[in-house]
Amino acid sequence: MTLKQQLRTVLIFTKLSTKRFFRDKLALFFGVLFPLIFLFVFGSMSKGNTDTNFRVAIFNQSKTQYSQQFTKQLTDSKTFKVQKDVRDMAAAKDKMAKSQLDGIIVLPEQFGTVDQAVNHPKGVVQVMYSQGNANTGQTLIAVLNGMVSGMNAHLLGAQPPLAVQPAPVNDHHLTAFDYTFAGLLGFSIIGIGIFGPINVFPELKKQGILRRLHTTPLRVWQYFMATMFSQALTGLVGVAAQFAVAIAVFKLNVAGNWFEIIAFTVLGIFMILGIGLAVGGWAKNERQAAPLANAVVFPMMFLSGTFFPRFLMPQWLQNVSDYLPLTPVIDGLRLLTTEGVHLINLGHQLLLIGIWTLVIYVIAFRVFRWE
Amino acid sequence: MTETILEVKDLTKIYDDRPVVDGISFNVKKGEVFGILGPNGAGKTTTLEMIETMRPIDGGSITICGLDVASQPQEVKAVIGVQPQTAAFQDKQKLHEIIEMFAAAYGEKVNPWEFLEDVQLGEKAGAYAESLSGGQRQRLSIATALVHSPKVFFLDEPTTGLDPQARRNLWDLIKEVNARGVTVILTTHYLDEAELLCDRVAIMDRGKIIAMDTPKKLIKQLLDKGFKKEQHVEQANLEDVFIDLTGKGLRD
Repeated sequence: MTLKQQLRTVLIFTKLSTKRFFRDKLALFFGVLFPLIFLFVFGSMSKGNTDTNFRVAIFNQSKTQYSQQFTKQLTDSKTFKVQKDVRDMAAAKDKMAKSQLDGIIVLPEQFGTVDQAVNHPKGVVQVMYSQGNANTGQTLIAVLNGMVSGMNAHLLGAQPPLAVQPAPVNDHHLTAFDYTFAGLLGFSIIGIGIFGPINVFPELKKQGILRRLHTTPLRVWQYFMATMFSQALTGLVGVAAQFAVAIAVFKLNVAGNWFEIIAFTVLGIFMILGIGLAVGGWAKNERQAAPLANAVVFPMMFLSGTFFPRFLMPQWLQNVSDYLPLTPVIDGLRLLTTEGVHLINLGHQLLLIGIWTLVIYVIAFRVFRWE
Repeated sequence: MTETILEVKDLTKIYDDRPVVDGISFNVKKGEVFGILGPNGAGKTTTLEMIETMRPIDGGSITICGLDVASQPQEVKAVIGVQPQTAAFQDKQKLHEIIEMFAAAYGEKVNPWEFLEDVQLGEKAGAYAESLSGGQRQRLSIATALVHSPKVFFLDEPTTGLDPQARRNLWDLIKEVNARGVTVILTTHYLDEAELLCDRVAIMDRGKIIAMDTPKKLIKQLLDKGFKKEQHVEQANLEDVFIDLTGKGLRD
């Protein structure tokens, strides 16, 4: 057979298995819908984190007009989420112990009584916070201090000699969602590239379907290549769906070039699929495939930044996870998508992906078994 | 004298220090239907698999269409068609796509509908493989094995598990394929099948060929030894009754 004929075979296998994918509801669910569910869950979680706010309970023990004004101001403020369902102090402390409240604000009985001598209201705002969560407590106090100084200046009518002027700079700030999104793309690539083959191959072997193909002159590389192409095609559909939802629902701002994103995604799918081909191609049955796949997938899933960003890890762990196959894929996707970096500047990531692809496919070819 | 298309010499396969196929030799002539018979575990399937390039050969040699099986497996695969014991296909794949796929595996481009017509599955061309009955699946499997016009066609227990109608239909199909000049080599445990289809049979037991000839001659040899079967005067058997009652037409 000439090379041209052999490549034609690859194209026909690609076409037919891509068609099969779109007829298979289960494959569609795991390839397209399942990652979207994750996107919604994690997307909603990280969306809430983007604007800082404090969950507080307010106890106004004062009857003065000013204390009521003050309470209203806190309630209306976006910085505070006042939990109105907390009825008494005991309930509030209990909630705070469970980290469901960031602080308790108490306006004592005397708060807001007007001092006749100077003719403006006086009072002390009491703030309680959990020592176990001192960081949040300190920030809460700082925010309240800022608020109170503003009010003081207003009441005293005087300009304080020293002041801080905040100036927000639009510097391509990465939101938590940007990290989450790249991680979730990585997760869906694992789903396509690893969980697909490790479930399908043992089944094909059990039924003798691969064996039957082996009685034909079909070569392993042709079969692998067809699988790579069709998985890349179907994988891109899943990834496109995630982009669509991320842009429409979670206001993802795509700074990069689409062509580069697609090309990079395909490289990532090729490499990760190699792991699936190696494990699924080696395993004689599901019992061999599942434990090995888990051993490979779980460390990668948690250390490469799929569900939580790697910068939260201790330095040594980051150093190790730098070299996992999925890490350059997720980092690269994030850099391309949200930071608008170009492929040409992703030398480090591309090199790692290239090396891993080579290593993985050499292994996959060596361990592949038709039955 | 017709030419030899398959030559097996001292073929040996050893599993766990035990010879499963123990130095067997036989030739198959072009255009023959050759049967390998034997009880379970006799080594029939292993022999077939070695000829089909699917199992490494531990000893001896196989030449098929002038090609050495051990050193030229790719070339051998291109001239043989293989029907495995169980015909399985992937779900969600239409019959005409399955034919297209197998043709592609051989580097061929064919008209799938023609091949499906040949095995009476023309109407099912757009159906999924999982909707087929056992007999239909076997016929599809035969079609997939013939897409590249092989010179030798191997069938491993082709009628196991089929109903009498489907069996008869498959026999007709095998005869048709043979009539087109394809050499057929099959294994079976059904002796009526071997008697009806095969020009010659080899009987295997414990890895060795213990007899090889035409079915007629084998029977004659047995009778010459003085063998007497209990006399049956019936002119028909239960299968004849069954076919008479239910008809020869295919049910699927």
